[in-house]
Amino acid sequence: MDKMILLKDDLSKFITELLKKNKVFAPIQSDDTILFDQITRPSEMNLDFCKSEIPPKNLLFHQTETLFKFTPGTKAKIESVDVDEKKVIFGIRPCDAKSIAILDHAFKGDYEDPYFLSRRDNTALVGLSCNKPEINCFCTSFDDSPASSKYVDILLTDIGDKYYVEMNNEKGKQLTEGMSNLFKHAKESDAKKKKEVEKKAVDMISRHQKTNGIVEKLDKIFENPFWKEVAFKCVGCGTCTYLCPTCHCFDIQDESTLTKGARVRVWDTCMNPEYTLQASGYNPRPARTNRVKNRIYHKYNYYPKNFDVIACVGCGRCIDLCPVNIDIIDVVTRAGEVKA
Amino acid sequence: MVDEKELRDVVKKTISRDDVKYVVGYEKGTYGFQATPCFAYKPEDAEKFIFSPLCVHNLTVFPMLEEKPPLRKGEEPDTRKIGVVVKGCDSRAIVQILQEKGLERDKVVIIGIPCSGVIDPKKIEAKFPGHIKKVEVNDEDDKFAVTVDGKTQKIPKDELMPEKCKTCEYPNPVLYDILIGKEIKSKKKEDYKKVNAFEKKSMKEKWDYWEKQFEKCIRCYACRNACPLCYCKECMVDQLNPQWVRRSVNLSENTAWNLLRAFHLAGRCIGCEQCERACPMGIPLMKLNKKIEKEIKEMFEYEAGISAEEKPLLAMFKPDDPEEFIL
Repeated sequence: MDKMILLKDDLSKFITELLKKNKVFAPIQSDDTILFDQITRPSEMNLDFCKSEIPPKNLLFHQTETLFKFTPGTKAKIESVDVDEKKVIFGIRPCDAKSIAILDHAFKGDYEDPYFLSRRDNTALVGLSCNKPEINCFCTSFDDSPASSKYVDILLTDIGDKYYVEMNNEKGKQLTEGMSNLFKHAKESDAKKKKEVEKKAVDMISRHQKTNGIVEKLDKIFENPFWKEVAFKCVGCGTCTYLCPTCHCFDIQDESTLTKGARVRVWDTCMNPEYTLQASGYNPRPARTNRVKNRIYHKYNYYPKNFDVIACVGCGRCIDLCPVNIDIIDVVTRAGEVKA
Repeated sequence: MVDEKELRDVVKKTISRDDVKYVVGYEKGTYGFQATPCFAYKPEDAEKFIFSPLCVHNLTVFPMLEEKPPLRKGEEPDTRKIGVVVKGCDSRAIVQILQEKGLERDKVVIIGIPCSGVIDPKKIEAKFPGHIKKVEVNDEDDKFAVTVDGKTQKIPKDELMPEKCKTCEYPNPVLYDILIGKEIKSKKKEDYKKVNAFEKKSMKEKWDYWEKQFEKCIRCYACRNACPLCYCKECMVDQLNPQWVRRSVNLSENTAWNLLRAFHLAGRCIGCEQCERACPMGIPLMKLNKKIEKEIKEMFEYEAGISAEEKPLLAMFKPDDPEEFIL
């Protein structure tokens, strides 16, 4: 793994170089919200943020995605949809990058999802360490760090007047080919500086979730009244799931007019009663309590059983934006303490 | 300032009644400036109840969210009452629902609390960003006394209140069974200043503005679910046959959703601002609701959620109702 230095003054040159061969997506500020969107100039992005409102998973797993187009009727014609060009997600946080690695399991599982996977192959992740975690950040509860380079191709860490650059793999190296004039080899002191910055960020994380033995514990407390206590206040909106970087459920629908149609895939949410409603009219998760419980179980029990990883990265978005303060740090920690 | 002991005693008394299923009120949230809905099923549960300017939720949504899962053989439905803690604005939601016969009066026990304004969580979190563990907020006449990590600051209410509180004409619950504390006198007046200013913009400016807002919508339906007046058995956007609004999330469908919701609340929205508070994307939904509220007030001299005996706006007719808008 190569450790380099990029001067802050050279950042826009780096972006300009990336733009020559790739579509670049970066955090953009609009009103009070930060969202990842395509940029055409380095000046459009804003790197002074903690996390984007919507996680950048939506660049690989679109909220609305046309799977193919068709013309209705007896002489139906089917038209496939172009797969994305080469793309760089610049400024992705280590937690959000980890979520994409978690999503890989689902989309590479029993059935390969060509839409997600081809986009994933064509996308390079240039991460940016998180120097100012916010109140509900808890990535350290999963043995990760706000400056972890594990899940990105290149990681930049702001160490004052320059970025400490970790080229993580071949993809990262290829991306920066021909830009050697911008990067210099890092010195021992730069590596030390990164460690300091990382420690400072880790120390800023004040909330922690206890996940020891949670998978087994959840097996024992499925019918516990605890779930009613934590979930009765849920109003049943989909904010927590739509803003979750690891949630990946979708619905598929045909949307057509008389002359043209498309099969679309849209995000779905297990908070919606319709999600489990069966054609017979029976609903195995009839109450909000069942649905909130499912959200927790999917992340902390089913996913670890299937793929050996907890499907939560500790970004805290579901806590920040829940209208009734259903707090996954609190819920999971308390679930661990419930008497089975 | 509300006497929390009095509140807890009332909750204790209410939940001790045989005909009450549970009481919904507020408790301290899990971090920072959060308060959160909580439920008392037995007298001891009342101990955690609080009331402070951080109690922003409209709890009247809970009786409307009551689920009726299929009963097991021999099981009787639980028809006991629900106790609800309400502020002035919240109580108007109950009145409006009663008016629409969405709820029967004897199915709720209303515990009213006069309120001189709450705190917008977004505004206070912006003022005290970061890692706050211990906070306390008290109401002191025209100021909020905010104690963070042992230091108290007095902040003028206008700086922290949501818009609805700045022009609130109903600080006292308009309907209640039990009132906690004394009624408040208020001279505030809804003057629709923001609506009037927005109306002056050109058609194009307005459309561009709303396009930008609706583009942000992720259709999580937090606006709908946090709203006590959105209680249709099946929401129009959930219907599949026919499908009125497509599932695709794009400007066209998002606009359809946000406008249809605004119109379905015409003459029904009581201005509790829960939709705007719950929206994760910061869409200023109250701008739509307030515009419709103003038009209705001017044309029909009607205000939602004031009298349970009155008929709903869309269920009454006066021969001299204006009809210039009919083509």
